[in-house]
Amino acid sequence: MQCREFREIADSYLSNELMVETNHGVITHLEQCAECRQELKARRELRGQLREAFIKSPENQLRPEFAARLSTQLHDYSLGKRGAHLVSPRGWRSSVTRTQATWLALAACLLLAMGMGLVVVRKRLVESKAPGEIAVSKPKPNDSPELNPGIPVSIVKTELAKSAVGDHRDCAIKFRLAEKPIDLEVAGQKYDPVYLNLTKAVLSQQGAAPLDAQFVEAHSCIFEGRRFAHIVLKYHGQVVSFLVTDFEPTNGVQPESGPQVITCSQFDGYKVSCFQTARHAVFIVSELPEGDNLALARALAPSVFAHIMSTENET
Amino acid sequence: MPHVSSLFRVALWLTRDRAEAEDLLQETLMEALSSFHRFAQGTNCRAWLVSILYHMQSKRRRTAARLHLVSDAEERIAETTAFEPPTPQNLTDEEVLGALERLPRTFQEVVILADIEEMSYKEIASTLEVPVGTVMSRISRGRKLLRAELASYANAHGFGRTTQHQISEKEPLREP
Repeated sequence: MQCREFREIADSYLSNELMVETNHGVITHLEQCAECRQELKARRELRGQLREAFIKSPENQLRPEFAARLSTQLHDYSLGKRGAHLVSPRGWRSSVTRTQATWLALAACLLLAMGMGLVVVRKRLVESKAPGEIAVSKPKPNDSPELNPGIPVSIVKTELAKSAVGDHRDCAIKFRLAEKPIDLEVAGQKYDPVYLNLTKAVLSQQGAAPLDAQFVEAHSCIFEGRRFAHIVLKYHGQVVSFLVTDFEPTNGVQPESGPQVITCSQFDGYKVSCFQTARHAVFIVSELPEGDNLALARALAPSVFAHIMSTENET
Repeated sequence: MPHVSSLFRVALWLTRDRAEAEDLLQETLMEALSSFHRFAQGTNCRAWLVSILYHMQSKRRRTAARLHLVSDAEERIAETTAFEPPTPQNLTDEEVLGALERLPRTFQEVVILADIEEMSYKEIASTLEVPVGTVMSRISRGRKLLRAELASYANAHGFGRTTQHQISEKEPLREP
């Protein structure tokens, strides 16, 4: 082993990341080379000094009062007092408390609205539908487009569904889109008026969805050159993407009076439900069980379908 | 509370704001408690917690996370460190921390995770969601940059080791 080679791997040697054979080569070289022994000693000392200085740096120390409160909160939380997590450490910082309080208030209002919506919709369903029928229903066996040729499968057959999955994965899950997303309403003014008030249309339908479907954020992003309106929800602990993109059916199939929500094929383990309007395709992508993903899509579809169709007719 | 100090240091480095770091730390620990069933027994608990911390930070700062890429400029700077002076000694803690602070953040990050928080290359790769080879490359460049920064400082102020020869790509020092 040459000195230059040794110095290339000396750090990995210190980190114990070398293979046994290479380790042996390093040791053999060190036995014969005083200069490399000195270099290794210097690097070891530098690393030790860096570690100690960083760890002992006053600014890297936890505040004792924060540590104490955190300990209490974790203890409460582990005992099942789930409300404990609502107390932010910022709670004792007056300048930030207001922001936190505002968000909490908004979240509370949203939950309240969702709860009231659920009550209203359930009441309507009980009045208008057969007993036992619920808004979020499990898919029927013939929901698969392959088994049901009468439904518009054009969006399933295209690459759009794959793009929707890619956008869900790279934007909502991995956060690694190359291009920064923009505000959905801004995108609505610039690119597609359907995006305007889309969030409201999605959230207004949540009364029919289970209460734990939570709104996370809305924006417009681009995946492989295709622009999407992207509304991120959390449902049953999973991130769900509600994606809308422009689409012209090539087979001339026109949507009927209501959305026909179907399950597309799976891509990379992600479940995709979709429906279309005259000029848009809508995808609901998640890692939920297929039935849950479809049920959620069906719960959200009616108001979104109405919103998109109404906007398409105006433009 | 085991690992809390370590998590706080990483959180503070990520956020650069004490209040943000405290929020992030709390959210991380809450998330860890609620998903503890996912922790694989026998693996490094601290590395698992750091992974959650990074995930929570990405959720908090989605935009920032998307833009968290190594710029070409940073890579080019790192590539120019083929010349490697001997590692200087007799430096103060402030000088060492100052040199770390002056590194591009991408290289600071891996040096902190590897050399200060003592995570393995594999654990860092999993946390940052990049290949192990990328981690090894960044760590190697980060350490070289740090040493070069310190050597430059030591030379400018007339101290540090002086008996060592310098390494160049063309001339290997010796072959025992």
